[in-house]
Order: sequence, then C-alpha cells, then structure tokens
Amino acid sequence: MAGRLLLVCRLMVRDLRRRRTETVLLLLLAISAATATLTLGLALNNALAQPYERTRAATAGPDVVATPGATGAEALAALAPLAAAPGVTAHSGPYPMAYLMLTARGKTVPAVVQGRDNSSAALDRPAVTAGTWVRPGGVVFEPTFANALGVHIGDTVDINGHPLRVVGTAVTAARAVYPSADWRAHAGSPLTESAGLVWVDSSQIGALAGARPLSYTLNLRYADPRASTSFTHKRTDGIEYSSWVGIAEADGRLVKPARLALMVGSWLLTALAVASVANIVAGRVVDQRRRVGLLKAVGAGPAMIAAVHLAEYLVIGLAAAGAGLAAGWLAAPALTSPGAGLLGSTGTHPPALRTVLAATVLALAIAAAAALAPVLRAATTDTVDALADAATPPRRRGWRVWLSRRMPTALLIGVRINARRPRRVRFVMVNTLITTTGLAALLMGLAQDRHVRLGETELVNPRSTRTLQAMLLVIVVLCVLALINAVVSTWTAVLDARQPLAVARTLGATPAQVTVGMAVAQLLPAIPGVALGIPAGIGLYLITSMGDIQYAPASWMYALALTVLFTVAVLTAIPALAATRRPVADALQSTPT
Amino acid sequence: MTGSALLRARGVTRWYGRGSALVRAVDEVDLEVPAGQTLAIMGPSGCGKSTLLHLLGGLQRPADGEIWLAEHRIDTMSERGLARLRRHHIGFVFQSFHLMDELTAVENVELAALLAGQSPRRARQRAMTLLDRVGLADRAKHLPSALSGGQRQRVAIARALSNEPLVVLADEPTGNLDSAATLEVLRLFEELRTTGQTLVVVTHDARIAAVADRVISMRDGSFADDSQLAGTADAGTVYGGWR
Ligand SMILES: Nc1ncnc2c1ncn2[C@@H]1O[C@H](COP(=O)(O)OP(=O)(O)OP(=O)(O)O)[C@@H](O)[C@H]1O
Ligand SMILES: [Mg+2]
Repeated sequence: MAGRLLLVCRLMVRDLRRRRTETVLLLLLAISAATATLTLGLALNNALAQPYERTRAATAGPDVVATPGATGAEALAALAPLAAAPGVTAHSGPYPMAYLMLTARGKTVPAVVQGRDNSSAALDRPAVTAGTWVRPGGVVFEPTFANALGVHIGDTVDINGHPLRVVGTAVTAARAVYPSADWRAHAGSPLTESAGLVWVDSSQIGALAGARPLSYTLNLRYADPRASTSFTHKRTDGIEYSSWVGIAEADGRLVKPARLALMVGSWLLTALAVASVANIVAGRVVDQRRRVGLLKAVGAGPAMIAAVHLAEYLVIGLAAAGAGLAAGWLAAPALTSPGAGLLGSTGTHPPALRTVLAATVLALAIAAAAALAPVLRAATTDTVDALADAATPPRRRGWRVWLSRRMPTALLIGVRINARRPRRVRFVMVNTLITTTGLAALLMGLAQDRHVRLGETELVNPRSTRTLQAMLLVIVVLCVLALINAVVSTWTAVLDARQPLAVARTLGATPAQVTVGMAVAQLLPAIPGVALGIPAGIGLYLITSMGDIQYAPASWMYALALTVLFTVAVLTAIPALAATRRPVADALQSTPT
Repeated sequence: MTGSALLRARGVTRWYGRGSALVRAVDEVDLEVPAGQTLAIMGPSGCGKSTLLHLLGGLQRPADGEIWLAEHRIDTMSERGLARLRRHHIGFVFQSFHLMDELTAVENVELAALLAGQSPRRARQRAMTLLDRVGLADRAKHLPSALSGGQRQRVAIARALSNEPLVVLADEPTGNLDSAATLEVLRLFEELRTTGQTLVVVTHDARIAAVADRVISMRDGSFADDSQLAGTADAGTVYGGWR
C-alpha cells in the first residue's frame, strides 16, 4: 500500500512540475475564480441575515415600534396605555420626532429627526459606529444616509435653518437603513417613505422643529414572541406598528439585488471556469495518452490510473479552493461596508463552515470533472493505441475546405485552420458568449436610474451602488479569466497552425495574409458568441431585476460588440505576427509531428 | 489446451479494417513456448510481429483464438485482471523504450514493483540490484533524457525484469540502437537465456536471432518457418562470428 501511495504522489508531483506552469496556473485561476464568487455570494447571504440580528442584540432592539399618526399631546395620550398593556415586558420612549428638511453639501432633503439623550434606555440604544453620541449642538447620522449625502463627522449641516455639527454615526434596529425606512406619515407632512434618520439632543428638538408639531415613537418588547413575528406592519386605532421582522426584511433589501447579481455572476463564472478547465484538460489528454498507455503496459490497473490523475487535479482543486475562499472572503467587506447601516461586517469573522464546505466542494467537483476525461479515456483506449502516441489527428471537414477555395486568402486560411480544430472553435465561442453576456448585463445595470427622489432632491441609492459594485466585481473576474483564456487559446492555435501556415507561406501567402488569417480564425467563432451574448445579457438582466427597467442605448451594445471583437482580433494578431516573423524553414522543421 | 508450455496460443487471429481494406495482421496462429525458451520472431515489416506480441502480452485482444500464460487465460480476461497479470508475470521491452520521462532511471525500474504492492524500500533495493545487473548503477538518478538510447533500453529491460516475470516480451528492442548499444542489449539477453528466463523477442536483427533457442519466421500474419536452433548450445561460436 505504501508503495502504491508513494507512486501516486511521485507521479503527481513530477507531472505537476513537468507541466507547463501556465496550464497549472490557468487551472488554478479558473477554479479559484468560481470558488471566490461563490464564497462572496454566501458571505453576502450571511450579511443579509446576521448583521440585523447582531445589531438587534447589541442595541436591545424593540419587538415592535409604535408611531401614532397624531402629533403632540394627542400622540402622547394615544401611546400612554401601550406601555402598560398586558404582555408588554419592556418599553422605551416615547421619543419626540420631527419631520424636517436637512441641508448638507448643498442638498436639501427630508429627514426624520429624533430627539434622544444620554440616559440609558431599556430598548433601542443606538450603537455608535464612529464619533460620539448626541450632545447639544450635535447631530448623529445613520451611516448609510450619511454616505448617500456625503456627510462626514465634523461637517456642519442645517436642520430647518439651524446649523448643527455632525458628531457621529450610529446604527439602530428600530428602523431599516436608508432608503428602506418606510416611514408612514400623515397627510401634509414633508416626510417621504425613504427619508433618512438622524438623532439630536432631545433638549433641542423643540427648537429645531419650530412651529411644526412633534411626533412620537414608542419601542415595545413583548413576552410572547408571536406578538411581533405574526406581522410586519399594521395600523390600529391611528397608530402605525412596525415589527422587527418587517424591519429586518426591509434592511435586507439593501443587499438583496447585489446578492442576486453575485449569484448569477457566479453561475456565469462557473460556466466559464468549467469551459476553460475542459479546454485545458482536452489539450492535456493528447499529452496524457502515452503516459496512460505506459502505465497500463507496466501493469497499472484502471483504479491506479484514476488515482494518479485524480490526485493531481484534486491537489490543484484544493489549492484553488483555498485561494478562492480567501479572495472571496477578503472581497466581501467591500460590498457590505462601509456604512452598511448595520453592526458587524463579514470580513471580521472567519467564514462559516458551510461556506468553506460549499466552496471546497465546488472546486473539487470541477477538478474531479476535469480528471474524469483522461480516466475514462484510459479505461476505454487500447493500450497499444495509447502507446502509439497518436494525437487526435486534425479533422478534415470537406465542405469547409471546398467552401474556402472560393474565398480571399486570409479568410481561406482562417476557415481552414478552424476546420482542423472544432473543439477550439467551440471554446472560443463559449468564451466570448459568456463574457459578452456578463458585459451586456453590466451595461444594462449602468443604464438604470440609480437615484432616490427625496423631496426636490435626488440622492444616490445605496442599493443600486452596491448592486453595481457586485456586478462590476464579477465582471472584472470574468473578464480576467476570459482574457487569459483568449490568450492561451490563441497561442495554442498559433502553435498548432504553425506548420500549415508555413506551408501556406511556402505556397506564396504573405505574412500579413497569414496574420489576418489567424485573426479571422479566432474571430469567426467569436462573432456568433458576441451576437448571442448581447441578447443573453439583456435577457439575464430583465429576468433578475425588479421594477421598471430602462434599456441601455443600442449604441452601447454596438460599442460592446466591436470592443470584444477588436480585443479578440488584437490578441490573435500579436502572437500570429510573432510567429510569421520566423523564417518558413524554421517553422517547418520545428513542428512536432 | 494441450501441453505444459508456459505460453500457449491457438488459432489466434487479429484483423484490422474490413472489406477491401482488410488486413490479416495475425491469422490463426498456433504457438507454444516452453518455460525457459528464448524465442525470436522475425519477418518483413508489416507481417504482424508486433501485433502478435501485443496479443501475447494482453495489450490487445484477439478477434478469435485462445491465449494462455501458465494457468491464466488471457484473451477473455478483464482489463483489471490483465493489469494484474502484466504487473506480476509479464515484462515488456519496446523499441522506443517507453520510459516515463519525468521519473529517474531507478524510479522507472521500481515502478512495476511499487505497482505490485511492494514496500518502497524493497522495491528500491530490487531496482538498484537490477540497474547494477544492466551496468547502470551509477546512472540511477538520471532522467531518461540524460541517458543514451542504449542506456535507456537497458533501464527498460531492468524494469521488465523487476517483478521476476514469467515471460519477457520484447518488440524490436534494438531497433533504435546503434551497433555498440545493440551488443550491450544482446549480452543482457544472452545472460537472461542462461538464467532460464522465458523470452520472446521480435527482431529484424540476425544477431539476436542467433542467440535464440528457436526462430520463427512470419509472413502475412502466419508462421512461415519454425526452427529449433541446434547450435544454441555453442552460442559462443555465434558471438565469435561477429564480435
Ligand atoms: N491500428 C491498426 N489499424 C489498421 N491496421 C493496422 C493497425 N496496426 C497494425 N496494422 C496492420 O497490421 C499489419 C501488422 O502490423 P504489425 O505492426 O504487427 O507489423 P510488424 O510486423 O510489427 O511490422 P514492423 O516490422 O514494421 O514493426 C500491418 O499491415 C499493419 O498495417
Ligand atoms: Mg512492429
């Protein structure tokens, strides 16, 4: 047993060392990219649920928040019996609130100003995330709202004509973060549903509000959990009740589309990773055939051969899982903070076991699928054939050769090169298809209105910002992987076509014709990839988005198509040009049989 | 199956292609190789020598006929069974060596032993002994790429012997070698013959045939001539002829 184990390890290590580094790197990269996005998706998934709960625990969040439609003494009278009602175990407030106009950085927006003091409350003790808590003359912002306004600690803002200094930011579990707070106000108040929340010293609120009547809010905790989990929002006897369940859900809305974008993105990435892994593996099969034949000749059984290949791919898979997990985990905080409006960000805790498992399983599954091809082949090929070391001979497609005789030289060369290697042609198509799909979806995202209307002013919607960030992140990873794929597939195409190209040049084709011919060979499959990718990307965006959607201008899409095709052409032309620099005789001699 | 020969084949047939392109590579061949015999198979290119050897070693399956190695019937054996048989009882030597490029000489030799489940230490000891026997103990740590053709073939022979196989099957072992390297291989085969190793060699080289107990001539897939060489006892005179 020890002997066989030694053998498996030895063959694996030597083979990895002998491999061209780019194949190993590419495999690593492809699998890592897939796991990284998955990790990120799962991390955000956690971020969706847990920070609210964490915040709720840390700030003694209420079960239910009661806000009467009435104002002043009438409101206080309406709230008075609630605190003493049966089943209520704790309460805080009523706290005065005023719906006022806030001016910061030249923008005037409606805001909800709540009056608080330093005394410790039984429920809803907002946790300061930066700066200090309220003091006379100071105002504390909910961080997502501060971010959207571009307000920093130390700035001076104006509330209803009164200048106040921004002294800190704090989070609460009694309201969903901007812009999902979902305020319900009586007619005539300047309040809008998505107004942001700030706190001031309660001694000042009367002065700030001036002639405007004050509203009040009361935080309640119940003995019976069903008293708060059975509804999200209700209105009874002129009082609005919001339960923590509803608040948590509204909070989640901030990252929900980003999460969806990441999830869809990780499907795309996984598809691309699988395609490129399949391409690499298929390229290696030729190389592995002789090795497999040889192992079989000295008496290695199917299980041994499977073990040798699996070991190699699993090591790559595990390394990639580690890299992908780390990358995904490190990238996660960028999407949840700053100013997520909630306590705790994903990066501060080790990834959940579930995340680690899922990422590892994905990486290993891709790796195992990669190992399957050579193993199956080994089991089915005749040992003698394998030993004969015959690479799959280029395939001859009669009709294409016939067709190409009637074309300009460059096109002719391109079509003939593709006729030799249909697998590579498919790969180029899939690569451009997936990349274009991602990019088209991103353009759709960019075309959307990313603002929230607050009164007369428009503010950036943090939800759209985050969604775009997530999309951008996925697309960057996708593009890097696609670029590497393109470079590798171009290089192999050039190497592979060296001999026929040399023959073409012996027959009188110019280096320029040959270069253009290579570019045509890669462009031909890229064109359907792009043509399908654009509608696919638009469709994907439509399916996964809510609300009314604007279409990106057609000119953007044309530009996208041209950019992708141009990139493919340039990527091909460079190595092809380099190859045609060499004298013909060299190429004819140096080609492997 | 009759007789007590170590390697027995009856009516073994292997065809390639069909219709007008049909090639009878091996056509109803009967063969018995007693234990300890050195058999040389000769014949023009394309007459089916390699195919026959592959059939005998279970690298290919016959379309028809039976093949036995000792008490094992090869032609109907499962792939797993064949693998086990190859790693315990059959040693192959190929014209193009077929060493693993990424393994050193000694690692190539111990490959078969490790596959057979020997402990790493025992396998290494045995490999070093064999390398010493083929005169390459000082090259044990070299990769095949750093060895000459003749040296590579001797490593391959050492590998073939690693599990003390019942039979060694060699397909033109000197086909890629110059005359000096051929002599080295020849010396090894002669030594194997004297130790009683059963050996089947496909060759174009009359010098190898000359040291065999028996020479079979093949033509178009069947045996044209089968001669037990009387003079093998005094192989020395044969050596004398070309040394
Ligand atoms: N895979 C194959 N497909 C079709 N025909 C084959 C195949 N392998 C061998 N043949 C044919 O079978 C016949 C015997 O081949 P084989 O390799 O056994 O000859 P050989 O005697 O070893 O020749 P050489 O001395 O050149 O090695 C030849 O005519 C060859 O063309
Ligand atoms: Mg042959």
